[in-house]
Amino acid sequence: MPEIKLKHIVSCSTEDNTHKADNLLSSDTYRKWKAAKPGEKQTSVIIQFEKEEQVYSIDIGNEGSAFIEVLVGHSTSVKDQDYEVLLVTSSFMSPMESHNGTNTNRVRFFGPSLLVKAHAQEKWDRVKIVCSQPYNKSIAYGVAFVKFHSPPDKSDPPTTTTPKMTKLGQFRVKDESPSACPSLQPGSLFFNRESTSKASPALKVSPQTEKLSYAAAALQSGSGHSSAPPSSNSPPPQAPVKRKFEFSKERRSALAPPPTKKPSPMGSPEQGTTTPKPKAKPSTASTPSPSTAKASPAQKTPDTKKKESLPKPEAKPRQKPSKAQSSSSEAPVPLNKIMEGVVFVLSGFQNPFRGDLRDKALAMGAKYHSDWTPGATHLICAFSNTPKYSQVKSAGGIIVRKEWVLDCHKRKQKISFKRYLMDGAESSSEGSDVEEDEESEEEKERRTPQKRREEERQPTPRKTPIKKEEEDLYGGSTDADEPEDESGMDTEDELKRVESESRQKKGEKERKGVEEEDPFGGSTDENTDAEAEADEPIPELPDFLTGKRFFLYGKFPNNDRRLLLRYIIAFNGEVEDYMSEKVQFVVTSEGWHDSFEDALMENGNLSFVKPTWIFAINDRQKTLPYQPYTVVP
Amino acid sequence: MSKRKAPQESPNEGITDFLTELANYERNVNRAIHKYNAYRKAASVISKYPQKIKNGEEAKKLDGVGKEIAKKIDEFLQTGTLKKLEKIRNDDTSSSINFLTRVTGIGPAAARKFFDEGVKTLEDLKKIEHKLNHHQQIGLKYFEEFEKRIPRSEMTKMETLILQELELVDTEYIGTICGSYRRGAESSGDIDILLTHPNYTSVDEKQPKLLHAVVEHFESIGFITDTLSKGDTKYMGVCQLQQNDEGEEEYLHRRIDIRLIPKDQYYCGVLYFTGSDIFNKNMRTHALEKGFTLNEYTIRPVGVTGMAGEPLMVDSEKDIFDYIQWKYREPKERSE
Repeated sequence: MPEIKLKHIVSCSTEDNTHKADNLLSSDTYRKWKAAKPGEKQTSVIIQFEKEEQVYSIDIGNEGSAFIEVLVGHSTSVKDQDYEVLLVTSSFMSPMESHNGTNTNRVRFFGPSLLVKAHAQEKWDRVKIVCSQPYNKSIAYGVAFVKFHSPPDKSDPPTTTTPKMTKLGQFRVKDESPSACPSLQPGSLFFNRESTSKASPALKVSPQTEKLSYAAAALQSGSGHSSAPPSSNSPPPQAPVKRKFEFSKERRSALAPPPTKKPSPMGSPEQGTTTPKPKAKPSTASTPSPSTAKASPAQKTPDTKKKESLPKPEAKPRQKPSKAQSSSSEAPVPLNKIMEGVVFVLSGFQNPFRGDLRDKALAMGAKYHSDWTPGATHLICAFSNTPKYSQVKSAGGIIVRKEWVLDCHKRKQKISFKRYLMDGAESSSEGSDVEEDEESEEEKERRTPQKRREEERQPTPRKTPIKKEEEDLYGGSTDADEPEDESGMDTEDELKRVESESRQKKGEKERKGVEEEDPFGGSTDENTDAEAEADEPIPELPDFLTGKRFFLYGKFPNNDRRLLLRYIIAFNGEVEDYMSEKVQFVVTSEGWHDSFEDALMENGNLSFVKPTWIFAINDRQKTLPYQPYTVVP
Repeated sequence: MSKRKAPQESPNEGITDFLTELANYERNVNRAIHKYNAYRKAASVISKYPQKIKNGEEAKKLDGVGKEIAKKIDEFLQTGTLKKLEKIRNDDTSSSINFLTRVTGIGPAAARKFFDEGVKTLEDLKKIEHKLNHHQQIGLKYFEEFEKRIPRSEMTKMETLILQELELVDTEYIGTICGSYRRGAESSGDIDILLTHPNYTSVDEKQPKLLHAVVEHFESIGFITDTLSKGDTKYMGVCQLQQNDEGEEEYLHRRIDIRLIPKDQYYCGVLYFTGSDIFNKNMRTHALEKGFTLNEYTIRPVGVTGMAGEPLMVDSEKDIFDYIQWKYREPKERSE
């Protein structure tokens, strides 16, 4: 489900000085939009999409609103009536919560089954979000974030233009590498880092020679190897191979969507560009992390150093896959590499534990995403049935319990996530590591287009370290290349199956998920009664009768009275309910009446006309003189 | 809707009586439900009026009394009678139809049909009993008993019994005796039970078993004596309390309705079936003013285009009052 890009804010009812509506445009930051002052009756914001899109699902993070409604429209829409309801008014806070100011930031995920079907099937380029909070007059409320997703469509090529400048947190990253790649792809990341670090020398900091040398070795040896068999070899060469493989694969897939499994080792061009510089390595470790939640560099550096000072730390991961992949073979890995390649999303945890958990995972080299994106690999979930849980489940993502992170961190080991799957199914740890890698690769392949986009939008200086670190992780699993051919099918099939299954169950699941997490989610009423009617431009009405005032006298045969009223009003004439001085024309089909004389005495300008005048104007569509149609005594 | 019996007394009983009579006439004979509602609203507001009304002008100040009704009040106060009412009473058609509709199972339409066939009295009905459907036959069988109001003491006894027996079937059942009894009325026309079970929500399949298990249990203990209709979610029947000892007078047969409602819609249902219907109308009006639409199933916020939103989560009647920012009113205070 690609995220729909938001172009700009068209308008908003009011906005807070700090919490401006513009905040909603950047999805990777959690800055909110709030009304200017507390107690506003209703607030709304209109957002422009980058292009016309069909909305498949909506994620909304609340900021103190009791109810939120989402309408869709077109840039041509002027009036409020031109907007159609896409998401009916939905509850985000109960009156009690509103009074107490609790649960102000509930997040709800609205899948296709919760959107008004008729309108979800059309394309729109504007959305209007309407919030209200009738229960608490003392809070300024709005929306914390909103995301729109277009329907999942695999055949859809990545057409979106990728901005060169991307932003994450406070950092702007210039991404020049053509292969700006998904976070999961270690090799390309590595290259990426190289180019970025070159481009921004500020990032380079104290060199760490061990790392450097490793990286250098890896790169140099990389081109020489094709997919390495899981035999015991000198680890460093392997790592690069893997990297190359990843890289080339990714590039290919970017060019031509159907990627072949077989790794074709081609590296020379890349290699040339990416000759590792000694300085590149340290950049990551000592770069101050942009987000406060991230592990502080101070912590990181020692870790890295310590780990790396171990003899051949890189060799260890490699052994894992090759050695009968038993969980016991989980080899010591540098702490900050344990979770390399993991892009995790948290759901259902509350601070301070949430921060704690995130820090631990980050310290182990994982990458944090606030929301599930195609680039994410693992959802760490507190309970099943959180909205994110359903979302990820339906997207076929991996959902694990927090213990995975905690245990990995405690034991300073990479432990297969398989044992920590949320649904409790404990698969034998056999081959799990390989599978994990495969899965993520598979996923990468599947989603390369989106991912690439995602990546390009979000590369950060922080990534740089991960790239390097990923090398050993994936270096170790290079051997996975081989098994991939055999097991690749299975994995892929399974992925597909899971995906289709989850898609089937999706509606239900989502509903349930939402429901359980959110007591107000139990929406079963589908408000489909609103007809989806395309906004057709209303034809301009002629104004043949502008400035003329009419009075309809007496009875008219058939339906003429109604028709007359219609025409007069349509032609911009005015109809008076009562005879008055303002009236210029009396329309009657009854012929002359005695009272007309009296009326003429009072108002000499009065004319008495037959209905045929009006009908004739309508027939000929132009102003006609009334004289031929006058009623005479 | 149950056959309405006359509302309670007030200093303006004469007026409310004739208004109620007119209301029933409009509903049963003319099938004019809005006129019926208008008369009932007027009757209700007048019955709350503390002093004796002296003229139509005075009554007109009350909400729900308009020009026409004020005129009729004047006529009634001045002449002690009402021409329109006299006419209706003397009209064979309307009085017969009005009478026939007092039999449960015979509504205005069936009443008119029977009347057209020359059926005008209870005796006539008994003669064509074979033409009546099951519901109507039961209605005929217990006609006199169903006409009698149920004293509050008997209602309380039945409530105790019902809740106690529900517990036996399944401890998780939630039952509420709604209707005027819940509002504290001294007597009731029938007994109306709202039933729910935590396992049953609006997203689930219908679960008729939950309802039928209860009905069967009540039949097995002899409380339910006849069935008028039995659906997946609504049961209509006849019940009778057992004599405790020989000396006691036998209890009458009473009309009983049991509705099975999904848990998430239960409190909207309880609110609705507790009434009064006039209170319900007022509450819905207020809800609309506050931007909500309320019905017997759900309360939903209304969006900017007027489209109703998702059903709001309701776990008590008070929740509904909270949503529309109304002070909670105990059932006793809900006569209007």
